[in-house]
Amino acid sequence: MSTFTRRPAARWLVPAVVAVLLAAGGSAVGVLAASARGGLPHRSPSQLLVDVQKARLDGLSGTIVQNASLGLPSLPGVGGAGSSDMTSLVSGSHTLRLWYAGPNKVRLALLGSLGESDIVRNGTDLWTWSSKDKSATHRQVPLMKADAPGRLPATAPVTPQEAADAALAAISPTTKVSTDGTASVAGRTAYELVLQPRATGSLVESVRIAIDGRTHVPTRVQVFARGTQDPAFEVGFTSFDPSTPAASAFAFNPPPRTKVTEGSGPASHEALPGSGRRGSDKHRSDKPGSASADQRLQVVGTGWTSVVVAKVPTGDSQAAGTGSGQLARMLKVLPRVSGTWGTGHLLKGTLFSALLTDDGRLVVGAVAPEALYAALGR
Amino acid sequence: MSAAEAVAVRRPRRLPTRFLRSELALIFGRRRNQAGLLVLAAVPVLISIAVKVSSPGRGGDGPDFFGSITENGLFVALASLTLELGLFLPLAVAAIAGDSVAGEANLGTLRYLLTVPVPRARLLAVKYLAIVIFSVVATLTVTVTGIVMGLALFGGGDMTLLSGTQIGFGQALLRVLGATLYLSACLASLGAVGLFVSTLTEQPIGAMIAVVIFSTASFIADTIPQISWLHPFLITHHWLAFGDLFRDPVAWNGVQQGIYVAAAYVLVFGLAGWARFAGKDVTS
Repeated sequence: MSTFTRRPAARWLVPAVVAVLLAAGGSAVGVLAASARGGLPHRSPSQLLVDVQKARLDGLSGTIVQNASLGLPSLPGVGGAGSSDMTSLVSGSHTLRLWYAGPNKVRLALLGSLGESDIVRNGTDLWTWSSKDKSATHRQVPLMKADAPGRLPATAPVTPQEAADAALAAISPTTKVSTDGTASVAGRTAYELVLQPRATGSLVESVRIAIDGRTHVPTRVQVFARGTQDPAFEVGFTSFDPSTPAASAFAFNPPPRTKVTEGSGPASHEALPGSGRRGSDKHRSDKPGSASADQRLQVVGTGWTSVVVAKVPTGDSQAAGTGSGQLARMLKVLPRVSGTWGTGHLLKGTLFSALLTDDGRLVVGAVAPEALYAALGR
Repeated sequence: MSAAEAVAVRRPRRLPTRFLRSELALIFGRRRNQAGLLVLAAVPVLISIAVKVSSPGRGGDGPDFFGSITENGLFVALASLTLELGLFLPLAVAAIAGDSVAGEANLGTLRYLLTVPVPRARLLAVKYLAIVIFSVVATLTVTVTGIVMGLALFGGGDMTLLSGTQIGFGQALLRVLGATLYLSACLASLGAVGLFVSTLTEQPIGAMIAVVIFSTASFIADTIPQISWLHPFLITHHWLAFGDLFRDPVAWNGVQQGIYVAAAYVLVFGLAGWARFAGKDVTS
């Protein structure tokens, strides 16, 4: 105390030091713990891929955080960070909780602030629930083969080692593959499989896939854009518990006064709430004579710098309909660009660029806009 | 050792509560503070009556938790807490905390208070304890009024959680009380900021406005995605995590972080208040 009496100003050091310690405290503990344990023993990319294929997990539960900064303009009708609507996942930061006990017992909950959307699969029942409008959908789905829970489908004749080698051989001309044993995901040490495009024209700097050191389950995927420190897209566990969750986690009974919609037939991609609502789906299905996708798609370039040129059905973008109205509104947000190839609207994201020309061509690629123009010129 | 000796040994160790009792009598005896608590209690009354008289078909409308009020009266308390968390509750705590030291200085009673032969740190600690008690009372006022009004108008029964599962009434009541205590802790951390600001000035109104600006600015900064790196450090960032108590199973992560942040603010601003107040020349 005498120091403080002689120098009253020294008192201010106490709250300042405590503030710094507390602010650093949360993150520093994790970093120190990970570095103290040191890296995992080295494993080659093909060994890691074999590990992943052999990984058997009877159940897990955990919290997943997803961050996307794709540089997309704010889309009309798409919720932001606090939303518990499944369509909001394309932008911002989101927290999900996952319970898994084999392919027939899965529950995924998207946590909004004071809201929640759930997808629950329990045997042959598939439920979706939204707390915002108190609605649930239910449909019957066929049982999946339950004998190999958590096992990745391996091609029949080859061993996991051969499959891994084949996969690596296929991508190595375009991609530099390396491993790193020092990652920490959800407080657990993890290997990282690092994929780096060899082509310099790609907007993607690297893709890092973290694989849990003990269970060999992929626990995090990060995609880095060229020249950025933070990942442009990241989805990974922040807590990870490799033990089978209780059966009660998968029990869903719609609470009273809930609007329950009974679905029919096997579940398709429509299982996700919101995805069935898109106007374009309906639009496509009631056009029986439309050309097949192969005729309209054309890929220019190879590997990471390949650009897809698609022919959008002419007149479709101007046609009436709910989906087109939203498209037109979206286009208004995007800047107009022009060149020798014509004029159009450009969407310039951090990981990809897309261009919709006025004559109905859609060009998409993980490249800078200039490469899109070049692809159109060809 | 005889019983009489034990009493004689124990007595001087007992913490005297006279100063705390006089603080509480000051806080809860003032007409303006009583009026403030009445305003806090008016919101759940207003909400429950408004939902009751509105047409029953429009159940799903309104802010968070409003759609569930007609099913279970306990949601009146939650809806009121959510609404008042933005301004009313921080304002109430700011009024008390901003007044705690600056109010005495303004009235000229601070120097008489300091003639009591106790360390200034302890004086500050007792002042803060009174603020914490007020935070709990203010939040409980909202919750209890909400529960009473809700149960009277809409009845109780099982509660549907955000996850779509149902829990019994007793457990639901327990979770509502848990959410109330969590929010009390959050508001008490704002009270620590208020206590510090209160030692800086002799104008209680100025201190109060500064605290309200602090909490409102924190709410605003929390909505700006470009500074998302700052969000975990904001005092208000985890306040809405009380909703995580109404999931199945409970998602403790947000609440834990909220309590960590609240404790950090209490510690830092409590020490800053001590650094300022212990060496301050009190002239008024």
